Amino acid sequence: MPDVEKNTVDTAAIATMLQSKDAEMKRILNYCVRCGICAESCFLYMAHKGDPQYMPSYKVINSLGILYKKKGNVDKSFFEGIKGLVWRNCVLCHRCYCPIGIDIPRMIDFTRSICRSQGVYPDHDGGESWL
Amino acid sequence: MIIAERKPLDEIKEMVKDYRKVLNVGCGGCTSICLAGGQKEVMILNRDLKEQLLGEGYSPVLDGFVIERQCNYDFFDELDNMVGGYDAVLSMACGVGVQFMAERYPETPVFPALNTVFCGADRNIGWFEENCRTCGECVLAETGGICPVTRCAKGLFNGPCGGTRLDGTCEVDKDTPCAWYEIYHRLQAQGRLGNILTVKPPRQWQNQTRRSLVQEDYKQRYAG
Repeated sequence: MPDVEKNTVDTAAIATMLQSKDAEMKRILNYCVRCGICAESCFLYMAHKGDPQYMPSYKVINSLGILYKKKGNVDKSFFEGIKGLVWRNCVLCHRCYCPIGIDIPRMIDFTRSICRSQGVYPDHDGGESWL
Repeated sequence: MIIAERKPLDEIKEMVKDYRKVLNVGCGGCTSICLAGGQKEVMILNRDLKEQLLGEGYSPVLDGFVIERQCNYDFFDELDNMVGGYDAVLSMACGVGVQFMAERYPETPVFPALNTVFCGADRNIGWFEENCRTCGECVLAETGGICPVTRCAKGLFNGPCGGTRLDGTCEVDKDTPCAWYEIYHRLQAQGRLGNILTVKPPRQWQNQTRRSLVQEDYKQRYAG
């Protein structure tokens, strides 16, 4: 966890974090067949009238999936851009259902960890809309 | 949501001063949202604590980390690989998270950096209000949605004491509304005063012993 707020990211540290779970994360990213069954098990997806940004698979593919694809070579704006996806759009309730058995919350939790390691996390003191 | 506040710095310092390598672990759940134990608060505490310890001749190694929830083992994976490298852990979670952490790492001293204060609602940013004592016997249906256990200074269960002021405040504190005064007026407005005309039997006070709950549909799963 960084001691101070910075505008840059440590791509080497991101790559190390991705590497630490490389096999597991890549495997489950590849297992996803985009069937969309996870969508209706997510109460946020249902509450937002089927907004695809709340689909559990969408949240992972468009955050951790891109991080892997780019091998961690992203900038701070990338993390700011996915903050809403992995925090506001997911409460980590562990209720999403995947017929293949992909542990979606685990992947979102890992993505949040990577965000935190780069000093990107929700601001709860009124600086941004949280829910 | 669980509301907590940071302990005085001196108290935290006394807990960890004799450990050279300390990991301060924040929680991404309730204590982040109540601005007591999230990533920002971990950084602030580490900065303050380091400054104080260095000033007193100690040379601490104080690192920070945040997991999304300290009350659920599913989120401890990354921490599992880190804790072994430290002499002690400071937790910025509620009392539940601290105990979970201590249970998960029984060989490492785990210390609380926060006082868990109550179960409350957000009135505004940084302003929280206790509205539930989690007593296990909710009577809100009868009291117009106002909890006498939490909001009456004496926790009275069968109407007000003799200390209600003329303006409807409590004798204990002039800024605290009398819960029973409010209950009466709300029920009167709803035409439900009959709700509080019968004497309620003594409560069981279930919160005097440790509780656990398995929802009805899951009882079979955990049976035996």
